[in-house]
Amino acid sequence: MNEILFSNQVIIYLLSESLLFVLLFIAFVVSIKIVIKWDFDSFSQKQFRLEKEAYLVSTITIFLFIIKFILLIYFVFTIDSLSILIAGAMCGAGVVTANEYGTYLLLFKLIIIATLILWFYLNSYDTHTKNYLHMKKKSLLFIAIFISIIFELFLDFQYFTNIDTHQPVSCCSTLFGQLEGANPLPFGLTIPLLLTLFYLLYFLTILTLKTNYRVLYIVSNLLFLYLAYYAVVYFFGTYIYQLPTHKCPFCMLQSDYFYIGYIIWGSLFLGTFIGISDALSSIWTTRKYIKNSRLVISMLTLFVVLSSIYVIIYYFRNGVWL
Amino acid sequence: MNRAFWYFLSLQLFKERSKHLTIIVISILLIFILSSVLFISSSIRFSLEQTLKPQPDFVISRLQGGVNRSTPIEWSDELFDIYGVTKVTPRVYGRYFFRPKGKSFLIMGIDAFEEESHKSLEKLIDSIDIKAFLTGNNMIVGEGVKEYLQKNFYNNSYKFLTPKGKFIDIKIAKIVPKETRLLSNDMIIMPIDLAREVLGYTQDEVTDIAFNVPNPDEWSNIEDKLLSLHYDLGVVDKNEVKKSYETLYNYKSGFFLIIFLILIMTFSLILYQRYNMVYSTEKREIGLLRALGWSINDVLRLKFMESFILIVTSYIIGIFIAYIFVYIYNAPLLKNIFLGGQNLQNSVSFIPIIDIATLSSIFLLYAVPFIIAVIVPVWRVSVTNPKEAML
Amino acid sequence: MIRVENLSKSFYHQQDESKILIDINLHIKRGECIILKGISGSGKTTLLSIIAGLDRPSKGKVLIDDEPISKLPDIFASKIRAKKIGMIFQHFNLFENLSVYENVTVPLIPSGLPLDDIYRAVDKSLKVANIYHKRSLVASRLSGGEKQRCAIARALVADPDIIVCDEPTANLDSQNSILFIETIKELHLMGKTIVIATHDPLFENLNFKSRIVPMFDGKIDE
Ligand SMILES: Nc1ncnc2c1ncn2[C@@H]1O[C@H](COP(=O)(O)OP(=O)(O)O)[C@@H](O)[C@H]1O
Ligand SMILES: [Mg+2]
Repeated sequence: MNEILFSNQVIIYLLSESLLFVLLFIAFVVSIKIVIKWDFDSFSQKQFRLEKEAYLVSTITIFLFIIKFILLIYFVFTIDSLSILIAGAMCGAGVVTANEYGTYLLLFKLIIIATLILWFYLNSYDTHTKNYLHMKKKSLLFIAIFISIIFELFLDFQYFTNIDTHQPVSCCSTLFGQLEGANPLPFGLTIPLLLTLFYLLYFLTILTLKTNYRVLYIVSNLLFLYLAYYAVVYFFGTYIYQLPTHKCPFCMLQSDYFYIGYIIWGSLFLGTFIGISDALSSIWTTRKYIKNSRLVISMLTLFVVLSSIYVIIYYFRNGVWL
Repeated sequence: MNRAFWYFLSLQLFKERSKHLTIIVISILLIFILSSVLFISSSIRFSLEQTLKPQPDFVISRLQGGVNRSTPIEWSDELFDIYGVTKVTPRVYGRYFFRPKGKSFLIMGIDAFEEESHKSLEKLIDSIDIKAFLTGNNMIVGEGVKEYLQKNFYNNSYKFLTPKGKFIDIKIAKIVPKETRLLSNDMIIMPIDLAREVLGYTQDEVTDIAFNVPNPDEWSNIEDKLLSLHYDLGVVDKNEVKKSYETLYNYKSGFFLIIFLILIMTFSLILYQRYNMVYSTEKREIGLLRALGWSINDVLRLKFMESFILIVTSYIIGIFIAYIFVYIYNAPLLKNIFLGGQNLQNSVSFIPIIDIATLSSIFLLYAVPFIIAVIVPVWRVSVTNPKEAML
Repeated sequence: MIRVENLSKSFYHQQDESKILIDINLHIKRGECIILKGISGSGKTTLLSIIAGLDRPSKGKVLIDDEPISKLPDIFASKIRAKKIGMIFQHFNLFENLSVYENVTVPLIPSGLPLDDIYRAVDKSLKVANIYHKRSLVASRLSGGEKQRCAIARALVADPDIIVCDEPTANLDSQNSILFIETIKELHLMGKTIVIATHDPLFENLNFKSRIVPMFDGKIDE
């Protein structure tokens, strides 16, 4: 049997994911019923029962969100700690790429968190209407989440059962290092250009937040998320590690860097996810304004300030840029 | 959620405490078992890491038929010539079997010309005159060895029998204090030439040769170079050792966890049954709350907070008891699962290690099944029709 | 204030439908005192619980201040119950293991009010209901009349416009019943809308203005 599967954390992780699925299945069945049979104007016993069961779905979803969030952190943590078991891996980067499932699994996890946040917005709009106006949309979204989680669970097991501990994996320096001058940045950007766009998009996001240009706001958020990833890996990260050649999104999650990666990635993902869900749900439910702008601003600002501060501190200490 | 809510919650919990008592007791017991095991395993892992830290990065030796043979000492000169290699140390060690019960101890030779090993020896035990120690027939023994020798009435010295059939009388010069843990408990340290004689090596042979490569990027490079030097050369790097230990303890605690899963599942079923019952007696009260203006969400919040407080209380108490059990009383009984079968290592004591990984693992393994088991009963009672209050 | 329109309620046992309330129309104005009078089993409790939003009708609707309480999501319906309606039950329905004081705080817990405001409101309504002196006693130790007064205090604590009572004197001796009617009179003078379901003849000639609505076999005879 695979020695990875005996790691305590992997066992606990897989168990929690599987158990959650039992609950999800219950909520899924109810959601299907709601999509088919929901009729708020009816006085029938069935409709009353459905309204009560809708509470079960939202209870489960709230619990799901909390646990999924904790499990995402736990997953990253587990990946990181597995790096000593796998030949060649120095941090999570090598472990995630140990087979073809890891990267997709991580992506799926992030998308599920984002969709759950969207669900929360729909839910809060829904509970503020006097006739459960968005109940069906909400249930459809839940069904979508459920299907994604089936895939995620499949990937979970595929991933952990297919890690070969003897097959050496690449470490982050080969995964993210520049090979023969090939530019790893998207759109053929250079670092200065990337940084300019990074800060510009940050301001654009904050500015459009208060206006009603919601599509622009969403696009700006998405672009910011995309470029911020590259900016952290290829620029800000090097200042966190204080080494111009060290380019890795995972090493900063380790204790050597005071787990700063959790805060950096956490604030980026939460900030953009909340912003996008906020705008998307208000378009979907045709509501006017966007709520929670303060939360989005503070998350994104925390992210930008935290990343930049490493650069500034380095410059003040050493008088040079990397 | 304001103070009034907490006030009411504490009131409810306090007045209804007998309802929750059994659940709390079982929970504490489960958490206690789980955290004891995880504490022990993380403590052992930590000790291993500590002992492995000063160990050399690489060890080479001669292989014959896949088995270690005595290594020619000239190989160390070849190592010096490789760029990036530091601290080349030829080593002599091996297990010595005492006749009476077939018990064995680890003998390690110390080179008179090795400054490095002197330093680490000095660190191991203060107040020892190394020069004097190395020139006579002396040895330093671990706590476990000392106890064993004393049991067999060797208080000051022991006569070793060499493979050539000669007896060598070696004096106990010092006893290694217990705090160094795990690897040194069954160890005997003696001058290198003495060790050669006891273990049956000739003058130009050693057991293996250790060295360091400070730059981790060079590791695979140097490994390749070495393997091309001699066809019968075998090389082991530190990470491999670390990994094999890690795997060993993962298997042990992994098997335990899998057994524990069955326990947790049973517990969840009991919880589900129990709370379905408890809450069915509360139907009227909840109906009353709803009639008095509490919404379904308010009741859900109340009931979940109730469960959450149960979870956190039993979590803290369980961990606290496990901490005392493992780190203060040294985990009687349970310890044998982890250390049993190994030579004399039972006198080991555990270093208190509490890390986020262990704490969060315990919490997840216990809290997730708990909440999953109560979620449906809690919901069921929360949506009680307020009309119940009228009946 | 309260408007009941074409209200019907049926219970189902397997396939059999039993009609408990049949096409009820009732209009209660602000400050009115309504006595729902009828023999046991005529459907008074069922009607009251639908009016107070504790149960759902099978047909028709109940409007409270133009809000259809029986067809609102729970969040809104409970808010109306909490703010506008005070309930007094036939069996008092106190939390037997809580003290009088604690019992009276219960309706205000989810209101989000600060604890000090809650305490103030509780003190006030304990005094109005004349049970302040017994506030720290556990509810199970109270006599019938005291339980009733504790229930009144609890019904008043959120300062609701409507007081709904189901057989309030069924478990009281005659003296306490008369005391209760006095309290109701005070509440009436304070301008509360009061709905009482009862078959007690004591309520037939009250010394204040009231409207008697007779109920029979789930119908209102008007
Ligand atoms: N949940 C129920 N299921 C079936 N029948 C019920 C239910 N609740 C009340 N009933 C019936 O409805 C009728 C009216 O009850 P109720 O409203 O309590 O009358 P009242 O309060 O005037 O005595 C009674 O015959 C009772 O048996
Ligand atoms: Mg009745």
